[in-house]
Amino acid sequence: MNSDKFLDRAHDIQDTYGYIPEGEIDKMAKEFDVPRAKVYGSIRFYSMFYTEPTGKYIIRVCDSLSCHINDSKSIVDSIKNYLGIDDGETTENKKFTLEVVECLGHCGEGPVMMVNDEMYTHVSKNMALDIIKDCT
Amino acid sequence: MSEKYFLKENMEKNVSDYDFSAFKKALKMGQNKVIKEIEDSGLKGRGGAGFPTGFKWKLASQQEADLKYFICNGDEGEPGTFKDRLLMEDSPVKVLEGIMIGAFAVGASQGYIYIRGEYAKPIKIFNKIIKEAKKEQVLGENIFGSDFSFEMKLIKGAGAYVCGDETSLINSIEGHRGISRIKPPYPIEKGLFDKPTVVNNVETLSCAAEIINQGSDTYNELGTENSRGTKLVCLSGDINEPGVYEVEFGSMTIREIIQEFGKGIKNNKELKFVIPGGISTSILSNDKIDIPYTYEDIEKAESSLGSGALIVVAKGHDLIDLMLNASRFYMDETCGTCFPCREGNRQVHHMLKKAMGKGIDHNKTELIKDIGKTIRLASRCGLGQSSLNFIGSVIDEYPNELLIGGVDNG
Ligand SMILES: Cc1cc2nc3c(=O)[nH]c(=O)nc-3n(C[C@H](O)[C@H](O)[C@H](O)COP(=O)(O)O)c2cc1C
Ligand code: SF4
Ligand code: FES
Repeated sequence: MNSDKFLDRAHDIQDTYGYIPEGEIDKMAKEFDVPRAKVYGSIRFYSMFYTEPTGKYIIRVCDSLSCHINDSKSIVDSIKNYLGIDDGETTENKKFTLEVVECLGHCGEGPVMMVNDEMYTHVSKNMALDIIKDCT
Repeated sequence: MSEKYFLKENMEKNVSDYDFSAFKKALKMGQNKVIKEIEDSGLKGRGGAGFPTGFKWKLASQQEADLKYFICNGDEGEPGTFKDRLLMEDSPVKVLEGIMIGAFAVGASQGYIYIRGEYAKPIKIFNKIIKEAKKEQVLGENIFGSDFSFEMKLIKGAGAYVCGDETSLINSIEGHRGISRIKPPYPIEKGLFDKPTVVNNVETLSCAAEIINQGSDTYNELGTENSRGTKLVCLSGDINEPGVYEVEFGSMTIREIIQEFGKGIKNNKELKFVIPGGISTSILSNDKIDIPYTYEDIEKAESSLGSGALIVVAKGHDLIDLMLNASRFYMDETCGTCFPCREGNRQVHHMLKKAMGKGIDHNKTELIKDIGKTIRLASRCGLGQSSLNFIGSVIDEYPNELLIGGVDNG
């Protein structure tokens, strides 16, 4: 690629569509003058870029060690249960995508979760469900 | 015992409220003196590897090139680490000043700050800081009337721990997959877009700014011979008052940090072990933590200070579950280039998963350690090389508990 604009561009598309559609990959290939496979390969490397549609809300729950010690697993389980989806899946109505992720850099305030760009700390099971119910 | 404020001094959030006195001082001192000052301070990189910062800057300044890059590494992703986030959120102008001082010292005209994509707040803050700095002409041509010109750009990462490695980070900025590069050539000779490139950690650069500000003499009064100054320690885990504490090297033992800053173990439990430098480092069991908090003492105890993430673990956890958790991290985050790192971590994860609730026998733990040795010897970057430190050290310390299912009776 050799362009410091690539990541920015991919973020823009991801934010606009909730994923990076094929048509946009074509456009990026032209823009950066590289084969489509190169664009695709690069995008697929990063966990925040998707090539399939995601839910309107991407829920990320940290389950790295410090949060895990503070029982993040129970938060993950109750969200899975409530939404009826597994890690990496999207609800049928395309509202929520659940991602169990590694450290989010708030290890002293665990368990923590993010909904899109919003960070929530000291999350309890009830709080997690309340946050989800507040997503309209 | 209280915190030693060196880095936490002068925390400022707005460009217009900041006088950039350290940077102005640096301009007056000139490149060589700035580098000498940082060398004299003994500052070591705070990103995990502990490379002497002054020496790095000296090597970079000696490179002949039409263009050099200076990169601030804000990809913080080692589980247990959250001090760079604190600096980027609460002291962003000093981070910027550190970048500018470093860039001036090595002769770089283009800078980047690479912040991990999940750090929405620091990203927002730095976007604003860069905009303000341009407006106030703190960034741009002939800064403060000098002949130093410098531009900055923020790069937002996209969810890959391995991009914290400096060569992976460079690939990532260029838009490639964030996989590591073979060294040599080192980034100092041939880095971003094949130009000489310095990569420094957020905390390192904040330290550098404060060293220029307060002088290396003041800095040298803090800490020990081999661990100068202070360190931001990230306390987390089974602890009453987790947080980021600034500790003068050598002034406290690990236990004292836990007791006095962390206010002891949560729920009145007993401490089992600590992980002194994030999950890429080996554990120190309860009987080994009465050592001063310094690079050298933690190394003597066969672990490492790493990024400064001090994770406290109480008795009562299922050890196999904790090992499984760490192994998942490496399985998920390996970039996949080196076979031993990619497949080894997957196999270890598989074995641990099978052992959950049942225990793991000596043959299996020996096999895991053997895989660990292979990964360490045959992997290209620090991710692979350190991926089995935590797991290997738990195996060494608690073989009998693992045999019976990994749960102690504490
Ligand atoms: C897998 C891996 C992840 C890393 N993550 C980070 C990171 O998040 N932040 C950081 O500053 N350094 C990280 N490093 C270390 C960098 O490669 C590099 O040594 C550092 O940014 C240099 O800055 P310093 O000398 O100021 O510490 C990582 C290294 C490896 C191997
Ligand atoms: S050690 Fe692992 S993470 Fe590092 S380059 Fe090799 S495969 Fe990638
Ligand atoms: S371990 Fe969960 S935020 Fe760091």
